[in-house]
Amino acid sequence: MELVKCSNVNKNFNNKKILKNINLTIPRGKIIGLLGKNGTGKTTLIKLINDLLTPTSGEILVNGEKIGINSKKVISYLPERTYLDKSMSVSEVIEYFSDFYNDFDSKKAKKLLKDLDLDISQKLAKMSKGMQEKVQLVLVMSRKADLYILDEPLGGVDPATRDYILDTILTNFNEGASVLISTHLIADIERILDEVIFIDNGKIILQSDTDELRKTEDGSIDEIFRRMFKC
Amino acid sequence: MLKKLLKYDLKNVFKVLVVFYALSLFFALLTRIFLSVDNSFVINIIGKVCSGTTIAMIFNILINNLMRLWVRFKQNFYGDESYLTHTLPVSKKNLYISKILASVISLFISFIVICATLFIAYYSKENINTVKNLLLPLASIYESTVIKLIIAFILVFFLEIMNMLESGYAGLVLGHKKNTNKIAYSIFFGFGVYILTQIFTILLVFIAALFNKDLMNLFYTVEILNVDVIKYCIYLAIIIYSLNIAILYIINLKLFSKGVNVD
Repeated sequence: MELVKCSNVNKNFNNKKILKNINLTIPRGKIIGLLGKNGTGKTTLIKLINDLLTPTSGEILVNGEKIGINSKKVISYLPERTYLDKSMSVSEVIEYFSDFYNDFDSKKAKKLLKDLDLDISQKLAKMSKGMQEKVQLVLVMSRKADLYILDEPLGGVDPATRDYILDTILTNFNEGASVLISTHLIADIERILDEVIFIDNGKIILQSDTDELRKTEDGSIDEIFRRMFKC
Repeated sequence: MLKKLLKYDLKNVFKVLVVFYALSLFFALLTRIFLSVDNSFVINIIGKVCSGTTIAMIFNILINNLMRLWVRFKQNFYGDESYLTHTLPVSKKNLYISKILASVISLFISFIVICATLFIAYYSKENINTVKNLLLPLASIYESTVIKLIIAFILVFFLEIMNMLESGYAGLVLGHKKNTNKIAYSIFFGFGVYILTQIFTILLVFIAALFNKDLMNLFYTVEILNVDVIKYCIYLAIIIYSLNIAILYIINLKLFSKGVNVD
């Protein structure tokens, strides 16, 4: 059974169609890039899978079940913004994740934070945005989830940090799990992707294996993307 | 999971409220000390200032409690933190119930602290006798004691505050169903829902008055009501406010459980 299945999903805002008839499956054990220009519906689709938005019509199933408690147990989600209660310290946030997620490995989180020289007694409010994002990434990757959804994890960070983030993702995701990464910085993540989904104007225009796509289109994913989405 | 949610909700609310509790009790103590010291003009002035500050602190506790609960509700369910709240493996029902329980518990504790503050600042045999003399005629009509009567008044006030709080929650839930101007709509709907609950209250009182001539005088005359009617009004207030709270709870829960649209 596929991990995630979207059938005829539509999402409207103020009568404006943001997602149009999305049909999509996310298989197990793959790293998938959700690629598209800014404002094409990537985040909306991710928010629908995470129950942050309610679809106007259509159905989303995770492990064959509708979005709900069980889907949230198996999805580890990194949003594009800082979402932790800033009045908490890092250690309090670790306790919070341990309380709510049975698959959260607090030892691993503490080790990763130590590797990053982040002080777990420090309050999030006193950390820079970049440090807070690193804490969030560590928390998300310290879960043994079935699906990791990372929304623009490379947005607004320097190239060195991008490499660090990608390494953290690659070395820490649960074996057999899938990773869905949304980004428009394709060149940076191309090397780790097994599959790509191209989204444009609220529609899925392509879902393919990366190697196959490179062969058939004769170019890198970045080049293919540039060709397809040329303004 | 509900226990865990409640733990974090209460932690968040009390993080600031305990400061106001401490200040309120501190100024109550100062008021008591300065007002009990024998007459000196300066000490008396300081005592009055402390007394004023104590009363201000009491209002502060109530307003802060309400504001913190509304802000927490908004941040947790519709602000940046909602990205974490709605992805926790917890049902929407439990998320909402946790907020309601945190509201009831924090308001209850605030009321206790307010009572303790008043007791510390102003308790004396003379003051107690004054209150007793004031309320005894009313209490005897209720065939009750002064203490029970005070508790009944506090209960009505508590229920009115809960009604106001839940109207605010309804405003936030309804306002965030809109795609634009969510805060403006939330305030608008919050006021709207509160006014509706008040109209509903008057309507129910009117229906009750159809069966009670004396109560009907509320709507037709400006004469002083007889004491029997006042007795009836207190019971009615408790029942109607409880009903309002229950109805708002059910509507909010239904709306919230239908799903959210987070920015």
